[in-house]
Amino acid sequence: MKKLFGIALALLCAHLSEAQEEIVLNGKELFGDLQARQIGPALMSGRITDLEAHPTNSRVLYAGTAGGGVWKSSNGGASFTPIFDQHAQSIGAVAVDPSDPDKTIWVGTGEVWTRNSTSYGDGLYKSIDGGVNWKKIDVFDKSERISSIEINPNNSNEVYVGVLGALWGDSDVRGVYKTSDAGATWEKILYTDLKTGCSDLLMDPTDPNTLYAAMWEFRRTGWDFNSGGENSALYKSTDAGKSWNKIHNGFPEGKLGRFAVALAPSNTSILYAAVEAEKNADKGLYRSDDGGQSWTHLNKDFELVVRPFYFSRIVVDPKNPDIVAKGGFLGSISRDGGKTFRNLGQMHPDIHDILFDNKDSDRIYAATDGGVYRSWDGGTTFEIVANIPVSQFYHISIDDKEPYNIYGGLQDNGSWYGPSRSPGGIEARDWNVVGFGDGFRVEKHPTKDIIYTEMQGAQNVWRISTETKRTKTIQPLPKAGDPKLRFNWNAPMAISKVQPDRLYIGSQFVHKSEDMGDTWEIISPDLTTNDPKKQNAEKSGGLSVDNSGAENHTTIFTIAESPLDEKVIWAGTDDGNVQVTRDGGKSWTNTIANISGLPANTWCYHIEASVHNKGTAYAVFDGHTSGDMNTYVYKTSDFGSTWTSIGADNIKGVARNIQEDYVQPDLLYLGTEFGLYITINGGKNWNRFTNNMPATAVHFIDLSEKSHDLVLGTHGRGIIIIDDISPLRQINQLVLQENVHFFDTKSTIISEESNFGSTSTEMEFVGPNPNQSAKIIYYLKKRHTFGKMKMDVYDSEGNHMIDLSPGKSKGINVVTWNYRIKQPKIAKGNSLTFGGFTAPRVPAGKYKVVMTKGKETYETELELINDPKSPLTSADRIALHKTTMELYEMSEQLAYLVYRIDETIETAEKVVASGKSGKKVAQPILDDLNELKATLVVTTGQGNYVGTAEPELRGKITALFSKIASGFEKPSASEMENFTLLKTRFNDAKEEYEKIEEKKVAKMNKLMKETKLEPAVYKSFDEFIDN
Amino acid sequence: MAICFTAVASAQTADEIITNYFEATGGYDAWGKLENMKMVAKVNQGGMEIPLEIVQLNDGRQYTKISLQGQSMYQGVFDGEVLWNTNFMSMQAEKADEESTMNQKLEANDFPSDLYDYKSKGYTVELMGTETVDGTETHKIKVTKEPTTVDGEKVDNVVFYFFDTDSGAIIMAEQEITQGPNKGVIGQTMLSDYDEVNGLYFPFSITQGVKDGQSQPLLIESIETNVEIDESLFAFPESGE
Repeated sequence: MKKLFGIALALLCAHLSEAQEEIVLNGKELFGDLQARQIGPALMSGRITDLEAHPTNSRVLYAGTAGGGVWKSSNGGASFTPIFDQHAQSIGAVAVDPSDPDKTIWVGTGEVWTRNSTSYGDGLYKSIDGGVNWKKIDVFDKSERISSIEINPNNSNEVYVGVLGALWGDSDVRGVYKTSDAGATWEKILYTDLKTGCSDLLMDPTDPNTLYAAMWEFRRTGWDFNSGGENSALYKSTDAGKSWNKIHNGFPEGKLGRFAVALAPSNTSILYAAVEAEKNADKGLYRSDDGGQSWTHLNKDFELVVRPFYFSRIVVDPKNPDIVAKGGFLGSISRDGGKTFRNLGQMHPDIHDILFDNKDSDRIYAATDGGVYRSWDGGTTFEIVANIPVSQFYHISIDDKEPYNIYGGLQDNGSWYGPSRSPGGIEARDWNVVGFGDGFRVEKHPTKDIIYTEMQGAQNVWRISTETKRTKTIQPLPKAGDPKLRFNWNAPMAISKVQPDRLYIGSQFVHKSEDMGDTWEIISPDLTTNDPKKQNAEKSGGLSVDNSGAENHTTIFTIAESPLDEKVIWAGTDDGNVQVTRDGGKSWTNTIANISGLPANTWCYHIEASVHNKGTAYAVFDGHTSGDMNTYVYKTSDFGSTWTSIGADNIKGVARNIQEDYVQPDLLYLGTEFGLYITINGGKNWNRFTNNMPATAVHFIDLSEKSHDLVLGTHGRGIIIIDDISPLRQINQLVLQENVHFFDTKSTIISEESNFGSTSTEMEFVGPNPNQSAKIIYYLKKRHTFGKMKMDVYDSEGNHMIDLSPGKSKGINVVTWNYRIKQPKIAKGNSLTFGGFTAPRVPAGKYKVVMTKGKETYETELELINDPKSPLTSADRIALHKTTMELYEMSEQLAYLVYRIDETIETAEKVVASGKSGKKVAQPILDDLNELKATLVVTTGQGNYVGTAEPELRGKITALFSKIASGFEKPSASEMENFTLLKTRFNDAKEEYEKIEEKKVAKMNKLMKETKLEPAVYKSFDEFIDN
Repeated sequence: MAICFTAVASAQTADEIITNYFEATGGYDAWGKLENMKMVAKVNQGGMEIPLEIVQLNDGRQYTKISLQGQSMYQGVFDGEVLWNTNFMSMQAEKADEESTMNQKLEANDFPSDLYDYKSKGYTVELMGTETVDGTETHKIKVTKEPTTVDGEKVDNVVFYFFDTDSGAIIMAEQEITQGPNKGVIGQTMLSDYDEVNGLYFPFSITQGVKDGQSQPLLIESIETNVEIDESLFAFPESGE
């Protein structure tokens, strides 16, 4: 016995100590119902990298994007749906298996249009169920960029993959790979060197053993790009990749750059190649009519030679070998076998891919920097697909309006702002354009209706008055004695929380203006390394000089003024310095040496100055432009004297941004190349947020002080909002140990806005609005699966308002209540009365929420408040509620009256049928009641549309009920007059019925008693309502 | 009631997980004896409460009755041959299009569940691995049924079921939406509040929606099994009502 007791005690102790162990939940266990809200915009869409058709079904096509994953259309390109949200969103190639086109799809990640801002992939994926589930093929983890996937049309197991590989460093994961067992094992069958990758791979569909591979020598750094070298070449294999021969007969000598190659599906001996060569005269389009044995130079038009690193796609009409289209700045098409070209129809510039429909060559699709375009007339006119929200934000900010606006700049799509909610949803018309070119930082003046926006390299910085519509450019200009100012492509701008008119802009110096950009003062020395080796951007490009300013380096990239002390200013540079001043710019300290574990010259991508402590700041670093894909996140609490790494091994992707919570200092939000990570304990554990959140690059994060919404600017999926993150502030070990924990929620304002919905067309993207209902938010330690779980709401007097359906998820659950009770019970008639479907609102006040889970009950309270901006007085509200509820009651009383009439009619009919004496007493009842009923409810007509009869009293009461209950006005004099009329009519009807009941029905009942007929048994009013 | 479900040793096959589910929710044989079920439920749309009566028979016949303002409207009524609905404008019965009817016929043998006796129906099952659903570890099982026809083309008919690894209960089902404007979106059904009815365990909370999107809870008030059903309700009312 004693022994047993000992064991029990030991078990108990074990249990207790287990109970006190720290609970660490992963993201999917913690975030529960917290959902991201993807609001687009889609009107300017974003960069599309690859288009792929289904071989036989014209309704199906795929679009790979630069930062927004893979999208599938099942309706011939009318609209698209994302099918690749869980994986790397930068897409190189999408391929459909010709033998199993409905099911087997391959995706090679990593864009191959190697601009400065391009993201990167993490390998090769395959789906065997049409894109519902994806399996990663491990061999390609380090492939970074996959240019091509070719599948043997006669053998699904035989697949070739062209790997372009690393852009910013050496890599041996390049070249052409082959599998003969559907992806289980791979062999590298063509490889040049650490610098040269496969930029294009073709298979002859009529002879799958014949392959063409374009190899490209290329390299990018933060300050330079090189296209071309001795090793770029075009190869051909006729033995399924066993051996390869260079096919350059007719091509220029010397260094070559990137090839664009295509073969004509209708005559596979015809090939086209765009060639980047040393001499301009040799560049352009070549054609071969003998399977690549010899080439003829045809054309060197601008569109055929422009920016090969960005535009290297040639496409041949599937039916006509002489119709050939090439991606380019505007894109162009030839109908004479490549001799002459004309530009494609007007659309967003920068055309990366073109797709002909397999059955109808008039149908052409184009992949641009601004979305997918469709043409129905062979490329003469184009229209945009309006529902692909893959906009690529570099930066976002928000204001303090209600609803707040989101501001941001986009890759090749200008600068914009739009609302966080809008009547009918956030649609194209809600977005306002506030800048040309590539858009980057956009800042709203803290107090005035002024917006600052910029274009690349701060070539223009605009100050825009949204009130007067006046615009002025205000970028800092050099004055006497200044060296050449070096602005980053994505030059930093910052505003001050302390001085609203203050604006900062960074070149190699910090520029400060106290008058909204009219006067500028340099308040720092050159804060960069000023390394001259990294200052030759104008020579960048290699064989094709590409002086766009994108390679400007040794510049300041991030500026942050402490919200607690305007003298404390941080500046981070693209060449790896973290500088701080504590005296408003008089003296600066470079703190980079105090950061351990960070490779030298790693790009400081963002510094966040703390709102909790002026010595505290967070810095994230991004080494991807030197081929370093690690995540670097640091914190200082002493102005940079010491820095601590707060990252973790489970974070994937280079860090782009960090946001500190305004309330809970240990709650941090981190944006990386592969999504959003959240820590609730200062960086000890990071959780990836995946609820409706794709694995897209999060370039900038802001947090709303008023609504506690986390706002993400993604570089590929537009703006994504997580509404009200305040529950995360309340999570701690005590909460996690509870079975059920209700979080404190803010009071809900009863919205008095109304609207008539959106104006978007059917296929346009509309961003969802936040849910403005009251929220009940709680944590469940374990998912509820067995037994009843319910939730009821009561008013302060204990009256039951409504039952809600509680969430069952482990982690955070959010239940919403639209602060309405259920609609009144309505009298039965021959048609529906739509006013009767109105569910009336409850008044402002405190409400008790009772959650019953098995035998346990848990309670919390919620508060509804009236909109402080509302013009209604409290007397108005009382009148509104009182009249609403009187009409509610009247509707239900009428329903009961009609029920009694129907029951009595039924009885009377039986009595009439029982014989002559029965008919004598009951027929007058039938006559009277049918006549009365016809005045109360519709008894004729058919259906609820054009066949319906004129409304009777029921329809008139519910119409007034709905009119008053739906609005936010004190009932008007006219409404009250109508109310009085209806009340009188209802009372009259009731009286009349009572009169009939008292006299005639009593007589009938007497007869029934005598003849032993069953008298009618009526439900009480309450029984009737409850049933 | 949770005791009814027992955790089963790991390294199960899809077939074992499915069998265990039926055994744990009342017994395989008992499920086989189920003749029909009648469910009384309600949904709430923007404050408007809509009462529903859902009846399913083991021969595939079914109806959903909506009661509003004393009027009855029928949706998804199937008598084995004809699929029909009430048109809300005219309040008359109208037949569903031929394709929908054909697809409905394929579902006729899915009572009490498509998983029940799936082999004899020619369905295949595959264990896809584990996945976290509602914060809970589950086995994901893919069920491939007869292809359906959508817009004139045969398409795969695949359902994914997610079984709680602890209890064996199904807590979620997913199916790609194959037609209409949401084509390509993943439809999701969350299941909870399992409770006993005449020896069988049914989920009393069913929430339907789309993955990462809006969902609509069905509040189930009662479930009855092997009840008497008015057989006349299933036939298409030729003259109209």
